[in-house]
This record gives sequence, C-alpha cells and structure tokens, in this order.
Amino acid sequence: MSTVSTRSPASTDPDSAPEGGAPQRTGRRRTVRDKQWPAYVFLSPWMIGAGVLTLAPMAVSLYLSFTDYNLFDPPEWVGLRNYTEMFTEDPRYWRSVGTTLLYVVVAVPLKLAFALGVAMLLKNLGRGRSFYRSAFYAPSLLGASMSIALVWKALFNDGGSVPEALGWIGIDTGGWVGNTDLAVFAVVLLTVWQFGAPMVIFLAGLQQISPDLYEAAALDGAGRWRQFVSITVPMLSPVVFFNLVLETIQSFQVFTPAFAISGGDGGPADSTNFYTLYLYERGFTASHMGYASAMAWMLLIAIAVITAILFRTSRSWVFYADEEGGR
Amino acid sequence: MPEPPIGRRRHPSRRSVLAAAGAGLGTALAASLTACSSASGGESRGVTLTIAWWGNDDRAERTQRALRLFEKEHPGVTVQASNSDFGSYMQKLATQAAGGGIPDLAQLDYRQISQYAGGGALLPLDSAVRDKRIRTADIDTDLLRTGTFGGKQYALPMGRGITGFAYDTKMFKKAGLRTPRPDWTWQEWAEANRRIAALGLKSPDGRPVTGANDGGVNEDVFETWLRSRGGKLYASQTRLGFSEDDLTEFWTLCDDLRRSGATAEPKDTVQAVSIETSPMGRGLAASDYTWDAPFPGYTDLLGDQVRFCPCPTTDGRQGSYFKPSMLLGIGANTRHPEEAVQLADFLTNDPRAGAILGFTRSTPPNKATARRVAKTLEGSELQIYRYAQDMEKYGLDAPPAAPPRGDVAIQIAFKRQYQRIAYDLASPRDAAREFIDEAERELRS
Repeated sequence: MSTVSTRSPASTDPDSAPEGGAPQRTGRRRTVRDKQWPAYVFLSPWMIGAGVLTLAPMAVSLYLSFTDYNLFDPPEWVGLRNYTEMFTEDPRYWRSVGTTLLYVVVAVPLKLAFALGVAMLLKNLGRGRSFYRSAFYAPSLLGASMSIALVWKALFNDGGSVPEALGWIGIDTGGWVGNTDLAVFAVVLLTVWQFGAPMVIFLAGLQQISPDLYEAAALDGAGRWRQFVSITVPMLSPVVFFNLVLETIQSFQVFTPAFAISGGDGGPADSTNFYTLYLYERGFTASHMGYASAMAWMLLIAIAVITAILFRTSRSWVFYADEEGGR
Repeated sequence: MPEPPIGRRRHPSRRSVLAAAGAGLGTALAASLTACSSASGGESRGVTLTIAWWGNDDRAERTQRALRLFEKEHPGVTVQASNSDFGSYMQKLATQAAGGGIPDLAQLDYRQISQYAGGGALLPLDSAVRDKRIRTADIDTDLLRTGTFGGKQYALPMGRGITGFAYDTKMFKKAGLRTPRPDWTWQEWAEANRRIAALGLKSPDGRPVTGANDGGVNEDVFETWLRSRGGKLYASQTRLGFSEDDLTEFWTLCDDLRRSGATAEPKDTVQAVSIETSPMGRGLAASDYTWDAPFPGYTDLLGDQVRFCPCPTTDGRQGSYFKPSMLLGIGANTRHPEEAVQLADFLTNDPRAGAILGFTRSTPPNKATARRVAKTLEGSELQIYRYAQDMEKYGLDAPPAAPPRGDVAIQIAFKRQYQRIAYDLASPRDAAREFIDEAERELRS
C-alpha cells in the first residue's frame, strides 16, 4: 500500500521507476489510480460492510434525530425539537445523565484499580501465572452476556447470596435489586468483576518496565510503596491512560447488565435508568425513534468531548519514556 | 500485502478479475441482505407460519395444543410459536414492526390496534371476512368492531375480558371480612387491607403479610378508580380526561396504605412481572388486582381458597368494563396470507380449538363456542364465566374508545412516577404534576 500511495504520476515512465517488479511492465500506460484498484477490490468487503452497516445507519439516525418518527408512519421533519425537548422539557433525560455519570465515575476507577492490583499480584507470580491470568480474564468474556446479568440479579436480590452473606457479618442491606440506592452498585460490581481485559493490558505493561529501574531504586533504599509511586506509576501511565480512555467510552454505553438487573425498565424508580436504557425505552417502547436518535447523537458527542478532555489532561500526567530520550 | 506480480506471467486481465470479484461480492452482499428474511421464511414445500402471543404457561400450553391440531389437519403447514410476558412482548413486536416483519399472526393489545393498523403493519381482513374465509357471524358486532381502524377490519377479538381482584378467602375470613360484593366501596377495600395486615400473618420467608399488591403502579387500577368516580383516562385522542388533583388523590390513597403496611412493600412491587413473582404469588399479600383471563393461574399456584371478586366502587358505581382482552392480527408482510387466514379462523371459530383454548383468553368471542365451553367449565374458569355474567347483570358503563397512540409510553410513565413516590423521591402531588407534563407531551407528539 505505502509504495502505491507515495509514488508520483511521473513514475509511470519506466525509466524513472526503480522499484522491483514494476519496470518489467512495458507498453501499457498505468496511472496511480489504475494501480490502486486491486487494493480497493480487496478492501471492498470491509468498505461495503462499514458503509452499509455503520455509516449509512449513522447517516439515517442523524436524519431521524431531526424528525418525529414512530416506526410506523413516515418520519416527519421537526427541526431541532427533539434536542430542545431533551434539554428543556424532559427531567428524566437529565436524571438518566446523572445516573450514567455516577456509574462512570464510580465504576471506571474501581475497575482499573482492581485490574492493576491483580496485575501487580500476578506479575511476581512464577509458576501458574498463565493459569491465573486466564482464570481472571474469563469474567470479561462472560460478563457481557444476559445470562450472567441474570445470575447477578439473583445473587443480589432478596434472599440472594450477597445480602445473606453480608447479613452474617452484621451488615443488613436487604436485596440490592429492589433498593433505589444500591441497585446501581449491583451494576457497578458486575462491571468491576469484568476486570480481566484491562488486567491483561496492565500485566503486559508491567512486564515492559525494566527491572534495572527497580534494582537501582532498591539500592538507593526505596521501599515498595516508593517504587510503586516513583517507578511503576509513571512508567505505566501510558497503559493506564489507554485503559482509562477505553473503559470510559465503554462505560457510557453500559446496557445489558442494567437492562437485566432492572428487568428492562431502569427501575426501581429510575435508579438504574442509564442513558442507553432510557434511549432504548424512548425508541422501542414509546416508539419515539426520532428522539432516541437525537439522544444517540448527543451521547456520541458527549463521549467525543470527554475523550478529548482526557487526552488534554493526559499531557500533564502521562509519561512517555521515549519522549524524554530515555531507554 | 505484497505487490501483485503484474507482468511476470500471463494472468487474467484486470477487467476479468474485477468482474469475478464483483460477482462474488454481489452474491455475498445479496446473501447477507436476504439472510434476515430467509430466517423467517419456510421451505418451498412446506409452509411455516409464525405466531406470537403473551401470557402465562397455561395459555401457552393450550395454544400449543390447538396449533398442533391445526397442523394435523393441514399437512405441510408447520406453526412456529413464541410467547413471553407482556412487557417484553410489546418491545419485541415493536422492534419487529420497525424491521418490517411482525410474525404471520400476532396477538395484539387493544392499545396497539391504532398504531399497528395505521402504520401498515397489519393485513386488512375485510375480503376474508366478506367471503367467509373468516367467519364472524357468531361474534358480537360491538366486540368485532374493536378490531377495526379507519373502517377496515384489521384484527379479530380473541376474548372479552374484565378486571377484578384475586383474593384469598381464608385470610379474608380470618380478618372477619365479608365476601366482597359488586357494590363494595374503595373505603371498604382500604379497610379490608388494613385489617388483613393487622392479623400479623407471616409469609413463607417470615415477612409480614399485607392486604394487597400496591396498585399505585398500575394505570389500570387508576382507570378503574377514576371511572367509578365518573371520570375517564382520555378525554380525546390528544387530551387526558383527569386532573392533577384526581391523580394526587389516588396516589395519596395508595401511598397511605403502603406506608401503614396495608399493601406490599415497594421492593416487592417492582419485582412483580408474573403471578409467581407478584406479592400475592410469593405469599406476601392476600389479594391482587388482575384480569379474569390470568386468574386461573392464581388458583393453580395458590390453591382453591383463592377466588375472584369485583373491583370496589364509588357509591355503587363500578369502574370495570368489558374490553377485548386481546386481538389477533395478521402481519402485512406474511408470505402465506391464505394459511394465516385459515389459522386465524381456526383459532376463532373451530369448536375443537375453542374447547382446547377454553377461557384462557377469558370469554371466547364466538358466542356459540362460549356457550358450549361454559357447560364444561369447572373451578376457576367457571368462576370467571359466572363473574362476567354477574357483572353484566349488575350493569357496567360502555367501554371507552380505543386509547391513543401515546398510551403505551404513558402507562410506563405511570408506573415509574409512582415508584418515585414509593421510594420517597417525590410527593404524590409532585409526581402527579410531572406525570401529567410527561403524558401531555406524549399526546401532543
């Protein structure tokens, strides 16, 4: 690909084309456009997929966000009304934003801290590391499924194992699922439990840190905590940043666990009515596809803005070793 | 990607490669585009019909039996059935309608008719009715009319239903309460709940038994209460028929009962999605507001001491009404309209199908079937049949016009706003104000 795209049109003259393969080609004039064709042919399955299954639906949803569309009648153009209604007339919209923000702010740091903690433990493990790594990674593969979410609901429901176990140690919470304050934390814990993916990335990052640094620090008398703060954290910061961005984006889109745990309605009393759940209700239960599309676009914009902010702040805390001329 | 070895040896021309690739892509694309539709279609020889409904296990089991009978009499026709609870059924059907493919036959709620028929998701049945492929002679004309939209027949009633309370006679007796009569009042009902709670009975898991499920989440209960006071849910297709004060009064009544422990706790109310998960089903309440059709499920689960009684009145005026409990429509995009019509007629009019289905969708629409089946009824089904006759004798107001399109969303908002009261997040007055705002926005759009 790179040779094709960097070559100038002048290279069609055989004499000025030093690359192998091409000079043998004589008698036929070939332009750059000509030579790009095979690439596009091979790319076309992906491009058609992206166009038909991603870009086109996105374009349609952008259009729908400016319409009143109830799934049955043709969409009716309403301009910005969906957006103004969302911002000025719909208190539930803002409550769902609040619930989602609470979830993201609690779940993401907890999950990353947990993933880092387990990765630190596994790092120094000799034999059996790959077994534990796989074992801890398994929940990440299972976690997104409906069945796990339903099991989770049973665990945290009235008479479920978690409230029972907490009762034995004297903490009487009752069922979490029917409790407006605790239901959201049942979802948070389900998310934290799926710490496997960031853990594997952290583990890889930890193994990249040169042992020399720790050795030198130890000689200088640095304790474990000092080493963690002064070596592990800065050296790992690009990986932390990567995980943070990824998990934040994912968390804003949380749907399945909340859907299953609340029984599909974001209850009780909207306490688990995350943005995506409310979007789904507006679209598929109340048949306001236009409003739901507008919500989807606001979510996209919000995630883009928050990601941009994360990138901005990263300048002050993410340390790239090669930039400092190290290594 | 290595550079293609152009010019080193003879190779197919670029054009032919492109043509071949294009053809390959074309078929791949066509295959992926048609994948969705071929899943629901049948083989060329046999015909596969799909049918979907909501309801309990008893309804599922009986409907399956009727469908097997239909298959036996129509060799080559296979019927694929699916069923679920009401809430998820509604969402699934709406999603399918958006994709242009509801099942060949679908059970519909009264609330859905205007939306689905108006949106072109249903097949008009007029020609089939006219040439008697669907027989309607034995169906009450008023009941049949509930399946029309814009003057055309889009759906067939599957039953005629009415609301009431399933209640535990033993607990009522223990509390010294009389058998509820068709003219008992909401005050008597509230008092009954308090007296049952005062008995101090314990559920199987050791928690106090209350008088009833908390009706504050249920728009149907509110409608019954409202109609008994001469009001109505909708004044027109775009206007509510009640005020903030009406709703505040109703929710205050529910709120007080719940606070005093006379009705179920919020955490039990929010978990109720079926008879088994309802407070009454879990032994936490002595009664539950319900429809006549699902009532036999209560006796199956809890025993014969559970009986069906009328909704309370306001000074003798009943708010209950006869409503098409559900209707049957044919999907506009069905590939086998002929067979679908046959199945619709079979389920509606065939005497054997009628005998199998019994009263699982409450009183059958076919009057001859209803009369015949009524003779064979026993237990809880006989009870609801007699109940309907008693209520007819007592005298009920005419059913309201079919609810407007926004009703589905309004119903959900109703539940949610009351949950805010139950969890102390809003006062009845504030919740009522917010609900009315929400409902009016829904009706406007």
